[in-house]
Amino acid sequence: MKLKPGEMVIDQENDFRVHTAAYVDPVIFALEMERIFEQTWVYVGHESEVPEAGDYQTSVVGTQPIILSRGDDGAVHVMFNRCRHRGSALCRDERGHADQFCCPYHGWVYGNDGALQGIPQADGYPPTLDKSALGLMHVPRVATYRGLIFASLSPYGESLEERLCQVRKYVDHWCDRSPIGKLTLSRGIHRFSYPGNWKLQMDNGVDGYHGNYVHESFLKVVERAGETSVRDVTELRRTGYVRGLSHGDGLIDRPYGGMAGQFDYHNPALTEYHRLLQEAYGAGRTATILGQQNVFLFPNLFLFESHVRVIKPMSIDHTVVEMRPVMLEGVPDDLNTARLRTHERFFGPAGMGAPDDVEMFVNVQSGLQARAVDWMILSRGLHREVRNEDGEFVGASTDEAPQRAAYREWRRLMCAEPPGERFPCT
Amino acid sequence: MTREEAESLLFREARFLDERRFDEWLSMFTADCLYWVPTVDGDPDREASLIYDDHPRMQERVYRLLETKAYAQLPPSRTQHNISNVEVLDGPDERSVRVLSNLMLVEVRAGGDGQVGTGRLRLLAARCAYLFVDGPDWRIRQKKLSLIDRDLPHHNLSFIL
Repeated sequence: MKLKPGEMVIDQENDFRVHTAAYVDPVIFALEMERIFEQTWVYVGHESEVPEAGDYQTSVVGTQPIILSRGDDGAVHVMFNRCRHRGSALCRDERGHADQFCCPYHGWVYGNDGALQGIPQADGYPPTLDKSALGLMHVPRVATYRGLIFASLSPYGESLEERLCQVRKYVDHWCDRSPIGKLTLSRGIHRFSYPGNWKLQMDNGVDGYHGNYVHESFLKVVERAGETSVRDVTELRRTGYVRGLSHGDGLIDRPYGGMAGQFDYHNPALTEYHRLLQEAYGAGRTATILGQQNVFLFPNLFLFESHVRVIKPMSIDHTVVEMRPVMLEGVPDDLNTARLRTHERFFGPAGMGAPDDVEMFVNVQSGLQARAVDWMILSRGLHREVRNEDGEFVGASTDEAPQRAAYREWRRLMCAEPPGERFPCT
Repeated sequence: MTREEAESLLFREARFLDERRFDEWLSMFTADCLYWVPTVDGDPDREASLIYDDHPRMQERVYRLLETKAYAQLPPSRTQHNISNVEVLDGPDERSVRVLSNLMLVEVRAGGDGQVGTGRLRLLAARCAYLFVDGPDWRIRQKKLSLIDRDLPHHNLSFIL
């Protein structure tokens, strides 16, 4: 029996399931690229990564290679990393600074805004050749919100502003951990590669349920250091909420952040930082900002306390995850150093927490080879979640409301025939 | 310190790691040590490192490996640290020397049939820079390990490099 993608998510009373095929079938992966990653707003980078004209970095939208460049005009350009002539990638470096991009194959030269500036031995083409039509292909839409740069490979659909409607306030809280609302991403990046499906990272990043079990080891490390007892952490994990939002977004939202070896923003020693925040935002908003909010923006971006996390799906069972630590601007330097040391303790391939998460992704990918078992169960808390006046699905902190929001959006997009022809951009 | 002495110290460290004698490994370091595995060249207070451990955090790592259910190490990594290209250079003062070496680390986690992500040999290569200080015996004050793929994705570095 072959299910259609729309049949791979069961969403009914007290019953929410996702089919194994969504994680193991290469046909599904190809459709996800076409209907999700090439249709929605996808995070491609942060403005602090390309601060000066000529700065660039390379990345992907879905599996398509792009160059993110700051042009001499000051604008951010997102262009496919492919020479218009015979298809060679222009940039092989991950990041750099360039006034021009020169194709290594036959020497075609493009400006850092993508305009075709020169063709060697141009007499090989008729004088009527229109160079202005042969610049690097730009992605159809690029938009920025608070330094986060998004691209859409579709010229159709909502603006970024419309797309961010429900999640925007949580993005704001996250950015406003800096009293001047300004963040810089670290160049030191923790990168994971795992032989498993990209949605396993999606599912886990907003999962408030696994911590006591997967991270038992880290909790014991924290307890041994005299910081928080395993019992206290277990209690803290019961506080707060999860939220499933529109567009597949979601978050874990706990009022108190400094648990389980996370950076303790409530530490009274941070007097100066607290003063700066209260001056900027007032006491009430400061309390909200200092809570723990792990925010997911479907399909590929997490905003964690310490870092921006990007999911890069490589194939149905190969995923790269990047964790880029965030430096808060306008705060004492030693605050950022302390946050970084806390981050390194848990995260990254050599951290004492995140490798255990990744091990679960691989465990699941192993278990899913038992395809005789059809379904994954994601109904936790479905019977007790409520829809608040903002339209958010709110559950207890260990419930699976954010995952359900993501799979509802996944199903909607996977069932939708993309509008128009693909990439009608020039 | 002669090169032979340096080699014998590095070989001993490698043996302690490969035989999971982590407490003895810890005892080779000074109390004020730094064990650093960077991701990029730059300021470690601004750019995340894979590892930036002082002695207490190294102890945490060892405790995690030996005494807790660290799933990324269940089953545990088997390692073989191979050391070469050892050079002894002057240290910043009379009591210390710098030792450079290359590390080729072979690692495998066993696993049953049908498991994903285990059962394959992995190779890691790194340039190592040590600072040894003299006392009753030579101790490591700094160990900086620069993986040749330090800025690339890794699956699991939850053993001790």
